[in-house]
Amino acid sequence: MPFHFANVLVFAAIAILFVLGSLVGGHFLRPHNPTAEKEMIYECGEKPIGQAWYNFNPRFYLIALVFVIFEVEIAFMYPVASVYRSFIEKGQGMLAFLEIFVFVAILAVGLAYVWAMGDLEWVKGLKQDVLKAAREAREQPRKAA
Amino acid sequence: MDNLASLRFFLPESILTVAVLAMFVQDLLTRRSARRVVYLTAGALVWLAIVAFATLQMPAGTASLFGGLLQHDPLRMFFTWVFLGATLLTIVIAPNSGQISPNRLGEFFALLFALVLGMYLMASASDLLTIYLSIETVSLVSYVLTGFRRGDRKSNEAALKYVIYGGVASGVMLYGMSLLYGLFATTRILGEAGIAAQLSDVTSRIFLAHAFGGQPAAQLALIVAIVFVLAGVGYKIASVPFHMWCPDVYEGAPTPFTAFLSVGPKAAGFAVAIRFFFATFERQLPDGAFAQVGDVPWPAIIGIISAATMTLGNLTALVQTNLKRMLAYSSIAHAGYLLMGLAAASAAGVQSILVYLVIYLFMNVGAFLVVIAVANARGGEQISDFRGLSVAAPVTALTLAVFLFSLTGLPPLAGFTGKYLVFAALVQRGGFWNVILAVIGVLNSAISLFYYAKIIKAMYLDEPLDRTPMRVPRLYTGLLVALAVPLLVFGVYWGPLVRWASTAFGGPTPI
Repeated sequence: MPFHFANVLVFAAIAILFVLGSLVGGHFLRPHNPTAEKEMIYECGEKPIGQAWYNFNPRFYLIALVFVIFEVEIAFMYPVASVYRSFIEKGQGMLAFLEIFVFVAILAVGLAYVWAMGDLEWVKGLKQDVLKAAREAREQPRKAA
Repeated sequence: MDNLASLRFFLPESILTVAVLAMFVQDLLTRRSARRVVYLTAGALVWLAIVAFATLQMPAGTASLFGGLLQHDPLRMFFTWVFLGATLLTIVIAPNSGQISPNRLGEFFALLFALVLGMYLMASASDLLTIYLSIETVSLVSYVLTGFRRGDRKSNEAALKYVIYGGVASGVMLYGMSLLYGLFATTRILGEAGIAAQLSDVTSRIFLAHAFGGQPAAQLALIVAIVFVLAGVGYKIASVPFHMWCPDVYEGAPTPFTAFLSVGPKAAGFAVAIRFFFATFERQLPDGAFAQVGDVPWPAIIGIISAATMTLGNLTALVQTNLKRMLAYSSIAHAGYLLMGLAAASAAGVQSILVYLVIYLFMNVGAFLVVIAVANARGGEQISDFRGLSVAAPVTALTLAVFLFSLTGLPPLAGFTGKYLVFAALVQRGGFWNVILAVIGVLNSAISLFYYAKIIKAMYLDEPLDRTPMRVPRLYTGLLVALAVPLLVFGVYWGPLVRWASTAFGGPTPI
C-alpha cells in the first residue's frame, strides 16, 4: 500500500511545521530587552576569557583514546566472565579462555607499543625525525618553485 | 558451517592478525638496531610467505563460513593471490623508496598487513555487515597510511580529504544497507533466508509487491538501495561520482602506498561488487549462463557509471602535469574499463575483470615504481622531470614505455589482452546499449593514448634534462624488468591467465 509512504510524508511535514511554528510564534510572543550580560557567550556561568579560536594541546585525546580501548575491553570481558561457568560445564572452558586471552593479548601489544613510543608521556617534545620531516617539507615547495 | 569448523578456512586471516602484532613487536625489539630496515623487511617477507603458504593450502570448493558471514570459494582464492602480489611488491619497494623513514618502517608493514587482512575479508564477505566492516577496515588503515608522512602538508591534506569523503561514502552505503534490511529483514545475502533466496522465491516476491504498493514501489526501493550500496564500493574502486579523493590521495600518499592503493583496494572493491551483484541478482543456469533475478536493472546502472567514469578520468588526465596525478586519473579511467566487464553481467565479463586486474597489477605498480625512481634521482614527479630519461636511464625509460603502452591497451602488450576480453564480453552479451558502451570504451582508449604518449615523448624526443646517467637502485631495475616481461608474455600468450580466471568464476563451480 502506498499508505505507508503517505504516513512518513505527513509525519515529516508536521515535524517541520512544528519547529518552524514554535520558532516564529516564540519570536512574536517573547519580550525583547537585551543587556550586556545576556549577550555574553555562555560559559556555564563563568565570564569567558579571551578567544575560543586558539591552538590547544591534543594530548588529552591521546590518553582518552587509549583509555577508551581498555574500557571497551572490560565491557567485552564481563559477559564472557558471566557465562564462563556454562562453558566449563560443556567442556569448552579452555576454548573460551584462549579466545579471551587472544583478545587481551592483542590489546596488550597495543598498550606496549603506545608506551614504548612515548605516547603516554604527559609532557613530551617533538621527536627529531618529525622536526626534520617538517623542515624538509617546508623547503621542498620552495625548491620546486 | 559453525564457528570452530570455519576456522580452518580462516587460517590466512588468522595468520595475518598474528603478523600485524608480530610486526609491531619486532618494530619495538629492533628499535636500537642499525640494521633494522633489513630485519623488518625480512620479517615482513617471512610473514607474507607464511600467509601465502596458508592460502595455498586452502581446500578447494565452496563453503559458507561463520554461519553465512563469509563465503569460501574459488573467486575468493583468486583475489587473495592478487592481494598477495600487490603486498609483496609494496614490501620490496617501500624500504628503498626514500618516502618512509626507517624509524617507522615496522609500523608501515604492520599497518599494511592490517590492510591486507581487511582485503581478504572483503574478498569473502557474503553478509551486509561483513561487507561494511571489511570495507571500513580497509578504509581506516588507508587513511592512516595516506597521512603516513606526518611532516608533509600534502600527505596530511590527502589523509583529511580521504577521511571526509570516506565518511560520506560509507554513510551512504550504510543507508542503502538499512534499506535492504528493511525490505528483506536479513543481512545475509546467501543461504536459505538470504536476500538472494528471497528475491528468487516467488511467494516472497509477491509479498514484497503487496507490502510496497505493487511491483514498481518495491523495485524503486531496491534500486535506490543498490545505488547507495554502490557508493561504498564505488568509493573503494574510485568510480564517478565517488572519485574526488583519488587525485589528491594518490599525489599526497607515500608513493609505495599509492602503488598499493591503486591495485589492492581496487581489486577488493571489485571482489565485493562481483559477489554482491552476482550472488544477489543473478542465478546461474545449468548451461553456465546467468539469468537475472528480481527485475533489477543493475547492469544498466553499472554501465552508466562505467561510461561516466572512464570518460571523466581520461579527459581530466589530458591536462595533468604531475605524473602521480595523471596516473590517479588514469586509474579512475581503468576503474571505468573494469566496470564494463561487470556491466556485461556474464561469466565472461567477470573473467575479463579478473584477467584485467592481474595485468593491471603489473603495469600500474611498474609505472609507480618508475615514478619513485625518478623522484628520488631528480627530485620531482612532474612530466618535465622525465625529459630525456631515455639517455640518462635507458632501461627505466624503456620499461616505463612498456607500462604506459600497456595501460593504453596497444597490442602486443598485456593491456590489450585485458581490454580485448572486456570489450569481447560486452559484444558477446549483445544488445544495443552494450555495444554502445564498448564503443565508448574504445574511444576512451584512443583518448588515453594521447596523455600516455606525452610522457613517452618527453622521455625519448624532448631535450634531455640531464645527460649524466641516472642512479637507479639495482633492485628497482630488476623489479622493473620483472614487471615488464610478464606484460610482453601475457600480450601474446594469455591462455593460462584466462583459464585460471575461468576456474575462479562461472566455470565448473558456481559462485
